[in-house]
Amino acid sequence: MTEEIQQIISQVDKVIQQKGNTKKALIPILQAIQDEYNYLPEEALRHVCDTTEITPENITGVASFYSQFRMKKAGQHLIKVCVGTACHVKGAGQVYDAFKRHFNLTGDEETDAEGNYTLEKVSCLGCCTLAPVVQVDDVTYGHVTTDKVDSVLQDFESQVGKTGKKSKYRNADGSEFQGEIRIGLGSCCVASGSDEVKKEIEQTIEGTGINLQLKNVGCVGMCHQVPLVEVIDENKKSKLYAKVKPNEVADIIHEHFKPKGLIDRLRSNTFHWLEKMQTDTVWEGVDRYAIDVRDEMVSSFLDRQLPIATEHRGVLNPLDMDEYRSFGGFDALKRILQTDRHDVIRMVKDSGLRGRGGAGFLTGLKWELVEKEKAEKKYLICNGDEGDPGAFMDRMLLESYPYRVIEGMLIAAWAVQATDGYFYIRAEYPLAVTRIRQALINCREQNLVGKNILGSDFSFDIQIYEGAGAFVCGEETALMASIEGNRGFPTIRPPFPAHKGLWGFPTLINNTETFAQVSYIIRNGESRFSEIGTENSKGTKVFSLTGKVNRGGLIEVPMGITIRQIVEEIGGGVQNGKQFKAVQVGGPSGGCIPASLYDTPIDYHSLLEVGAMMGSGGLVVLDEDDCMVDIARYFLSFTQNESCGKCTFCRVGTKRMLDILNRITSGKGTKKDLEELKYLAEWTRKGSLCNLGKSAPNPIVTTLRYFYEEYEAHIEGRCPTGKCTAMITYSINDECIGCTKCAQKCPVDAIKFEPHKKHSVNTELCIKCDACRQVCPVDAVEVV
Amino acid sequence: MIKLTINSQPITVPEGTTLLEAARTLQIDIPTMCHLEGTGHFTSCMVCLVKDTRNGRLMASCSMPAMEGMNIITDDDECRESRKASLELLLSEHVGDCEAPCQLVCPAHMNIPLMNRLIAAGNHDKAIEVVKRDIALPAILGRICPAPCEAGCRRKQVDEAVSICLLKGFSADQELEKGVTPVQPKEQSGKKVAIIGAGPAGLAAAFYLNKAGHQVTIFEKNEKAGGDLFQIEESVLPAKVMEAEFSAILNSDIKTHFNVEVDQQRLEQLQQENDAVVLATGAINGQLKGWGISLSKTGVEVNKDTYQTSIDKVFAIGNALRSSKLAVRSVGQGKEVAFVIDQYFKTKEVKPYPSRFNSKFGKLQETEFVEYLKESVDEKRLEATRGKAVGFTMEEAVAEAKRCLHCDCRNPESCKLRELSDIYGAQQKRFQYDERFKVEKEFAPQNIVYESAKCIKCGICVRITQQYQETFGFSFIGRGFDVKVGVPFSESVEKALEKTAALVAEKCPTGALAKTNTEEQLK
Repeated sequence: MTEEIQQIISQVDKVIQQKGNTKKALIPILQAIQDEYNYLPEEALRHVCDTTEITPENITGVASFYSQFRMKKAGQHLIKVCVGTACHVKGAGQVYDAFKRHFNLTGDEETDAEGNYTLEKVSCLGCCTLAPVVQVDDVTYGHVTTDKVDSVLQDFESQVGKTGKKSKYRNADGSEFQGEIRIGLGSCCVASGSDEVKKEIEQTIEGTGINLQLKNVGCVGMCHQVPLVEVIDENKKSKLYAKVKPNEVADIIHEHFKPKGLIDRLRSNTFHWLEKMQTDTVWEGVDRYAIDVRDEMVSSFLDRQLPIATEHRGVLNPLDMDEYRSFGGFDALKRILQTDRHDVIRMVKDSGLRGRGGAGFLTGLKWELVEKEKAEKKYLICNGDEGDPGAFMDRMLLESYPYRVIEGMLIAAWAVQATDGYFYIRAEYPLAVTRIRQALINCREQNLVGKNILGSDFSFDIQIYEGAGAFVCGEETALMASIEGNRGFPTIRPPFPAHKGLWGFPTLINNTETFAQVSYIIRNGESRFSEIGTENSKGTKVFSLTGKVNRGGLIEVPMGITIRQIVEEIGGGVQNGKQFKAVQVGGPSGGCIPASLYDTPIDYHSLLEVGAMMGSGGLVVLDEDDCMVDIARYFLSFTQNESCGKCTFCRVGTKRMLDILNRITSGKGTKKDLEELKYLAEWTRKGSLCNLGKSAPNPIVTTLRYFYEEYEAHIEGRCPTGKCTAMITYSINDECIGCTKCAQKCPVDAIKFEPHKKHSVNTELCIKCDACRQVCPVDAVEVV
Repeated sequence: MIKLTINSQPITVPEGTTLLEAARTLQIDIPTMCHLEGTGHFTSCMVCLVKDTRNGRLMASCSMPAMEGMNIITDDDECRESRKASLELLLSEHVGDCEAPCQLVCPAHMNIPLMNRLIAAGNHDKAIEVVKRDIALPAILGRICPAPCEAGCRRKQVDEAVSICLLKGFSADQELEKGVTPVQPKEQSGKKVAIIGAGPAGLAAAFYLNKAGHQVTIFEKNEKAGGDLFQIEESVLPAKVMEAEFSAILNSDIKTHFNVEVDQQRLEQLQQENDAVVLATGAINGQLKGWGISLSKTGVEVNKDTYQTSIDKVFAIGNALRSSKLAVRSVGQGKEVAFVIDQYFKTKEVKPYPSRFNSKFGKLQETEFVEYLKESVDEKRLEATRGKAVGFTMEEAVAEAKRCLHCDCRNPESCKLRELSDIYGAQQKRFQYDERFKVEKEFAPQNIVYESAKCIKCGICVRITQQYQETFGFSFIGRGFDVKVGVPFSESVEKALEKTAALVAEKCPTGALAKTNTEEQLK
């Protein structure tokens, strides 16, 4: 036995001692091994089989099922390019390709020749407002573009080995984020002279070393105040200046920013700004969480909102239990411990609360079903396996309101007489896991979790189960299979979990957000909750608003609010003054709602009617530049990848639909393909075993329904938005000033370096990476 | 107890009974593939979908428990369409041939790989039996056939085609040398068939009709049987080979009338005296004009699937339809028309010669040669050293037969995917948009072969090896479309199946896990 293998074996022994030697310890064991080795060495897996009840079949099936696990040795550092929906529409695919080129990776290669970096796509990091996002080990870079690959890596390498506190979230050019100035470029703003103001700002900051991002935003809606200038300083404070004149610019800037060199001193200030995690572009990292009161700027963002799951947002320190209590935290728990549990269930039922995970099953009814079951054990699971690309509600709730979720779980557990609880949290959310872990420790100390809670005869403990990367595990039967140490294969229902769930015991599974709304209902009474919303959809819904919207972020709105209100009033409209085209609701299971249905109210019924569904609550705004066929293709490639592979319709059906969409987006589609696409969409919906497959065709069905002419255009050989690379060519027009920037950027020398001359693109060599267009200072690069 | 109705029949079943079990107690058949009694349900293939008419929902009957008040339909258009759709999806990723390309190319559809295996194993009696199921004149064709089968032979891609034609001739010669036992039909049907013409087509039809127990009479204008074959040179086709093969056929209950020219009047008479008439006259050159038979540009007009002419009970085959130099086609048509007529006698209906569903994947990729060579030998193609007219020696034949790649599936009869594709009219090519999976073959003791590209991921082998606590067993590997069934830690199939090899091969619903020596088509 070599020394290396011996080392592995003793390491594995340690892991097993910690995690246990039963089947249910399998995923935690694999996670621990991968933590150690960066991949799963076969010797380690064999040794697990030799010393536990886990079989080779079991371990191989599980290790190869979850995307978190790697069977091949990875590079020293891991680069994860987020390809979630928000990142996708902002060019994540091209960013990924740029990294691939940088490391000279071909085909399926993932690791560079030196073994320094391994490049991976990841389905969603839940930082949608920073899109496109790239993570290098634990450092997250936002707004990454194809030409920023070098600077991201340079910055990362400059950080490697450095000790001490470092900012975990950085701008793509590697600089510490010093501030941002936003100038409205809506039509009113431009008309009132915002262009001149912009030039003045550029001149003012030049040479001062102040690292500012100057950003154009669309109409903020306050057109009577134009031009508007919003300044976000390094303390993440935002201030809005109305009716700005060019000669006021210098004063404004110096009010907020000091030339470089003083930064460190300033950084010692406590960070205080309300929406750093929750609004566009200023999310500065989740490990700093102090709060300030909003000013005017965010009021429009907040006015339309109604925080229940996110109650006291911007005020609560996530782990400060006293603070949570001071806002009435755990009052609901105390109260229900004195109440008949049937009354609690009735209250939840009467509140009209429906499951927030997507399907919208009446929560109280679910509780009642579990309560009625007689069993020696009952389980309760908080479903935090938010796999939707483009959604991060669960992450936000778990990170920011851990006690509220726990309280909701405790109330439910008491009502249904559950004995054991689980947090099932996605692997990609390490901070949520850390927070919940600490929150549970705090709760145990305070006798809120564990034996005889608050002196009652009610005992209930909660443990954390980390998912390992499988979207399908959001499906409750697959989720339970995963906790039991199996591949996340869904099974047919009935039996429903309420009857026969985890290890055959009655099990209550609710979504994180559902639990987060429970304490409000108990504290304020069911009618307070049911007054909010529409006839069939009560209360509020949390959404992550992302994509081409000015103010993306986590929002909580009353049911019945229209899409237009969300996008225009809360989101501040479409970015860069572009035309609103559609909003993608509900992720891979949802659909695209077009501009013609802008006034559709958000509730379970209305969304189904237009072909979408609530899903878990991702709202991705698409503008005129987004190709709807490409969007459909994007979601199909996601579901195809995430299909568990069990039933024929989902495993092969999603693949064949993707094949057809690939043909169409590469200009090879035919009329017949459209017919077959409809046929497959119909049968995948009707024939699949679980809801992943049944809802997988929704993005296709809705885009076919509302954007049929775009499909037709592709079949005729045109991509109207120029997104489908196989169907477009790049060229340079007469605006070219011969600055050579494009030639310098071109990774394949398709543009000849000719200073002061008009450049041109050699279309034979061009790989359509878009680097030239992005870098051109005069918009001379055209895509046709 | 639970009350429900299935296909309008009420039934009461204990709680926990699946819809499939309930239907089966009513003798209602629902197809399944991934289901295997005693291993728990898995719900993967989805060919067992049935509909609850109360809400129109489709559900997998193999695992859905019967529930109070259900009103189930198992076989309406929607259920059938769902099965066709799932089969077409499964077929789109199923890489394998039900029958070998050579057999599909052969106009007589002869089971070539099976013949090759039997010759290679020295089982020459069985080999000729297999040949004669499809080819009535193998000794003759073994010398004169242009062998379209060899154009289809996969071995041609690797080096050169297998000498199929010579092997067939060899088998026939073996039998002729020993002396052919005259055909003894099990029972006489009492039906009479007149065959006009004793060329390859007529003789073949006579051979199979006689074998099926019908009274056959041949009318031949020449003084002896053979037709166009007599134009072939002695050096290619020695007369004694011909005579031996003809007399082997005619040396039975078949009646022959030589030197009889059949005219229109005689034909009408034969129609009345017989239950069926077969025109195997050879090229007709217009002499049937005015007989009341529809003619096409090339000859007698027939229904391509049944060989029926425009006249009731009169069939036509061979060069009478279209002049061709391909005797093997005429011989094949003789077999097919005999089958059609036999079925007609039995069912009173003229039905097409059955064509079965065939999964096909076309050419091998270069990297796949090695997979197919695992079951073959790396030897050069042999020709008959004694000349084609004499044929292979025993050693040559055995050596050449071993060069066969055995492209055919080993479970052509028991494969449920094939059976259901036939029943539901599934089209394999419909959803084949992308590159196919690569063919891989792994052999294990007890004549086990595992071909992952044929796997439909039903998981039966995974469940069986789990149940029998194999050390390694099979496991699902990966997920989504790329999920594979394989052996953990890249161990061998042999290691995976220490206890369950035979069982797993038997239960696999396709030919993915099979025994190479089952020879289902020999039974």
